[in-house]
Amino acid sequence: MLRHDAQVSDTHVSDQELLLAADGELSTSRRALVQAHLAACWNCRARMAEMEATIADFARAHRENLDPQMPPIDGARALLRAQLSQLSAQSTSGLWQRVSHLATPDRASVLAFAMLLAVIAGGLLIRNSVRGEKRTTAAFSQMSPVPNRSLTPGVARIVSANDVCSMAHEEVVGEVSPLLREKVLREYGIVNAHPGEYEIDYLIAPGLGGEEDIRNLWPESYQSPTWNARVKDALEEHLHEMVCAGQVDLSTAQRDIATDWIAAYKKYFHSDRPLPLSSRVEIEKVPWLPES
Amino acid sequence: MTQADSIRRLFLPSIADLVKPSEIERQVLELFEQWRSPLLRYALSFGIPIHDAEEVVQESFLALFRHLQLRRSEKNLRAWIFRVTHNLALKQRYANQRYIDRSSADEADSKASFAEETLDPAPNPEEHLSAAQRRRRLLAVVEALPETDQECLRLRAEGLRYREIADVVGISLGSVSISLTRSLARLVRADGR
Repeated sequence: MLRHDAQVSDTHVSDQELLLAADGELSTSRRALVQAHLAACWNCRARMAEMEATIADFARAHRENLDPQMPPIDGARALLRAQLSQLSAQSTSGLWQRVSHLATPDRASVLAFAMLLAVIAGGLLIRNSVRGEKRTTAAFSQMSPVPNRSLTPGVARIVSANDVCSMAHEEVVGEVSPLLREKVLREYGIVNAHPGEYEIDYLIAPGLGGEEDIRNLWPESYQSPTWNARVKDALEEHLHEMVCAGQVDLSTAQRDIATDWIAAYKKYFHSDRPLPLSSRVEIEKVPWLPES
Repeated sequence: MTQADSIRRLFLPSIADLVKPSEIERQVLELFEQWRSPLLRYALSFGIPIHDAEEVVQESFLALFRHLQLRRSEKNLRAWIFRVTHNLALKQRYANQRYIDRSSADEADSKASFAEETLDPAPNPEEHLSAAQRRRRLLAVVEALPETDQECLRLRAEGLRYREIADVVGISLGSVSISLTRSLARLVRADGR
């Protein structure tokens, strides 16, 4: 990788590599070089922003085009619910092995009944849906940007900086399983929340040795106006890089982010407010960027 | 996972399946809230009618239920279910085409010429395009792309990571980024940016 050093400073980054960089798919060392180049090169920054804006525009057009023809979710949900309870009933009565293709003789009648349910339920739900949504949004806006310390004190594995810096991409991203996600939400008393509006975030990020443990996870809102999940993601990435560059030791980074991540952000970015993701693109404006 | 859970998973998978179907049901229903719209949009983009697309999505979630009930891997369920929808939508489209082979060929012709009309003449950068015009133009450019490129772009628009896209479409990570780079270059050009 060292031989790229000289190249990067005067050669522009290819479109392809810019896309991979935006998705966190470059190796740590390569990413550092690309970021250094981006920080100094207006041209590449502009190209990256242009590509991201284009995907965002397309995502919007795609939705605006298809969403009007999509029926409300209520009917489909009722249908699925009926089919699932039918499947569960079959599996508890020991028939499971025989119905792996759902080709049971009474499927048609289940469908007919479910359709009827769906129509009735659909009517009722549409009437109530507006109020329901408002309630959910209110719950989010009250959510604090920092976790409840007694529920989420932060848990880390015993690892060295070397382990952390040689982690594969998947390990750094650390997807939380749907079951655990559900548990975390229940622990925080969130019900009926819209799933896209918060991230089940690691307090100590996997990239800093954080554990997939309920004591290290909490629901973090994307909606908080200033200190939200995306800002924390930026801090995690920054700390990971500092640890790997030997500028901060791992245990200090873990302690700082677990104690008060906002204070840690201010300390390591030398700023009292979230930076507009300066040398990188403005990620919060790009709705298609993945959540993790 | 509690210790009891892991013991059950190790030694008594079949009994665990029987005991806890309701938890899996709840999990599937929760994921349905989250993924139904993206999956329905994705299914629709294969050009199948809305009622077929809805059925494809329902089938995908039933498959997810079976997948979870059989205690298969829960790693990256999002890519997994998009792949199921992808395959079912393709299958559905193939089934539909067998019935309407001739008429759809005519339709495809007229669609193609529509795409050309809306793309031509080349946009003048100084010309002010309304939001609706820009939208139509973007969509027309996308429709004219090779199928795999369209799929990659649509999956990206639904927020999937490159690795997930590669998994759903069945191509390599490198091919995904090449495809998207190519599509984006075209979109940028058509948009007169």
